[in-house]
Amino acid sequence: MNVISHHDLVVLLLGMATMLILSRIAAEFARSLKFPIVMGEILIGVVLGPTILGNLAPEVSAYMFPTSGNATIALNGITMVAVIMMLFVAGMEVQLPVVLKQGKAAVYTSFLSMLIPFLLGFGSAWYYPQWFAQSGEYRLLFALFFGTALSISALPVIARILIDMGLFKTKIGMIIIASAMFNDLLGWLIFSFILSSMKNVDSSYEFTHTIIYIVGFGLFMLTIGRKILDKIMPWMHQKLSWPGGVLSICLGICFLSAAFTESIGIHAILGAFIAGIAVGDSVHLKEKAREIIYQFVTNIFAPLFFVSIGLRVNFIENFNTSIVLLVLVVAYIGKVSGAFAGARLGGFNNKESLAIGFGMNARGAMEIILGTLALQAGLINETIFVALVIMAIVTSLTSGPMMRLFLEQSHFNTTNQVENN
Amino acid sequence: MEPDYTKLKKRSAFPFETVAVAIAFSPRLEAILMETKRMVQMFSSQLVIIHVGKKDAHHEEVLDKLLNKIGFSKIKYRVIWMEGEPVDTILKLCKLNIVDLLLLGALEKENLYKYYVGSIARTISRRAKCSVLLLTNPSINPKKMRKIVVNGIDNLKTIHTLETTHYIAKLEKIAEFTVVQEVNTPMLSLTIAESGTEPEVSKIKKEMQEEDFTKLNALINSIDKQGVNIDLKIVKGKPGYAISHFARQNHYDLIVFNSPDTHLGIFDRIFTHDIEYVLADMPCNLLIVHSRV
Repeated sequence: MNVISHHDLVVLLLGMATMLILSRIAAEFARSLKFPIVMGEILIGVVLGPTILGNLAPEVSAYMFPTSGNATIALNGITMVAVIMMLFVAGMEVQLPVVLKQGKAAVYTSFLSMLIPFLLGFGSAWYYPQWFAQSGEYRLLFALFFGTALSISALPVIARILIDMGLFKTKIGMIIIASAMFNDLLGWLIFSFILSSMKNVDSSYEFTHTIIYIVGFGLFMLTIGRKILDKIMPWMHQKLSWPGGVLSICLGICFLSAAFTESIGIHAILGAFIAGIAVGDSVHLKEKAREIIYQFVTNIFAPLFFVSIGLRVNFIENFNTSIVLLVLVVAYIGKVSGAFAGARLGGFNNKESLAIGFGMNARGAMEIILGTLALQAGLINETIFVALVIMAIVTSLTSGPMMRLFLEQSHFNTTNQVENN
Repeated sequence: MEPDYTKLKKRSAFPFETVAVAIAFSPRLEAILMETKRMVQMFSSQLVIIHVGKKDAHHEEVLDKLLNKIGFSKIKYRVIWMEGEPVDTILKLCKLNIVDLLLLGALEKENLYKYYVGSIARTISRRAKCSVLLLTNPSINPKKMRKIVVNGIDNLKTIHTLETTHYIAKLEKIAEFTVVQEVNTPMLSLTIAESGTEPEVSKIKKEMQEEDFTKLNALINSIDKQGVNIDLKIVKGKPGYAISHFARQNHYDLIVFNSPDTHLGIFDRIFTHDIEYVLADMPCNLLIVHSRV
């Protein structure tokens, strides 16, 4: 049996400790400035990776974060598990009934805030691939990916902005949350399809099968699978040790589902995401269990993943101003106009609709996960990846102030009073 | 003669001037009629007995005998026999007769097929344009209700639901009238896990809970509470399930909901939410108040 050597183990543990401690310091600093904590985590990756440490002290960088060998394989494995767990957690917060309950305003907003950025992203990447310095190998898939990348939203970032603005439980807040949930669900389904299609881009037979598998798996897990999980959850709470038993079974279901989708040719992330929806929907899942899973994933695995991004890519070498600006412009126009149009159709006024548009525009961590997976799959180059990361950070930073701009305090106070009456 | 539908528009949800009961010749018929009699006497209403099916001498005789046995001679009632599709026919007759409250017998839990396809009682309760009372355990010795729980959801209809429930509670001399507000904040746990310190988390949760409590308190204070004590409870959990679980655990006799805001379809049963949780597994009798105002 192959075992990790003493040296590799030391390197791995040293690397992980450095990543966790420094990213926590940076995250706390970001939090104190009211910035998304993911910013601090990525920044530490950039500092520890080839962009800064690799340039200033290449020997230290090569020792702590080698680019090959067992320690690297182990770290890659851990970050992959981190992505799977993050998608599981993201799925746990997708509550389809919340979307159904919000009625036509949520339907219009979620649909148009997905469709317009998707069409804009797809169109620009399909007709002008040269703008993105992208090779023509996966032209269709790249166009599909770019459309999807622009249509996704970052629920936790949006929710945080809404809490800070006191809008979390208002009609506007719930519309934004419901629409972002729907965008995430559809976005990850499309992205899984793109990743699966990369393996068999030339075969229409495989192409059809991929769609059947994704739709079939999604439908099964969201209907029968979800009901089965809901039935066994009370048994788990009663018979297994609390909270350990419930946590291990929940994460076991996540990995099982991820392994299944990976084995049938769909990416593991879809299995984790859908399993998250099924588990999270259960009325029997105790809030405490949910909180422990979130704390465990967002404070241990997520930082490892986000720091590892900076370890892989040189952000200075791959920074291309025109591509960054292009991605930002297309992202802003697509998302804000799409959500604005949906909200207007749903009965909101111009200012409220613009606020919803900018609220939905925050991409945050989800965009970065999407970009990383696309980079690993060879679907995008590092320049596009850097542009996507910057877009995710800029959109997350501007969402709050832009929402405030369109919803002055007096205005949303009036709205709340009307709702209360 | 065409009925005067203008009477329906903006008609208050209470008092229940006209009560209807939809009957089938099932083993529970006598119990349902006994419960109906008690309600009609309590509300001083006129009664419409609806049977969807062919009128024949045998069934007519069975019903007459039963009504006499129960003592319906003391109350004002009419029996309507009509053939047709049960749900549409009952809903049409309720509209024609300006029914304020429709009584139906319902099983606590339907089998999976019936639940998704929709049983008559549950389909009517989703579509009715009048208030509907689903009786889960009708008895030939009906008892007064002692405990009522109302869903105090933040909705314009809730005030009418509270007033209607208060009207019932006063007549029933209810011992325990509880208004429950369910607290469900999707995304809050994840957001807090990502970027919140312990004091900050406690503060956010406390503020949200206080906000809910203040809103509901204001709503309750705005209604006439004469003769009834109203308790206020905040229950955490998914809307519909949390109150249903609360009613079951605390042995309530009646759970009261607003009528649905939108047409509830099969998707609402697959991705269960709100009143669908109660319809899926009824913890006790269910009153759905239809506010026409």
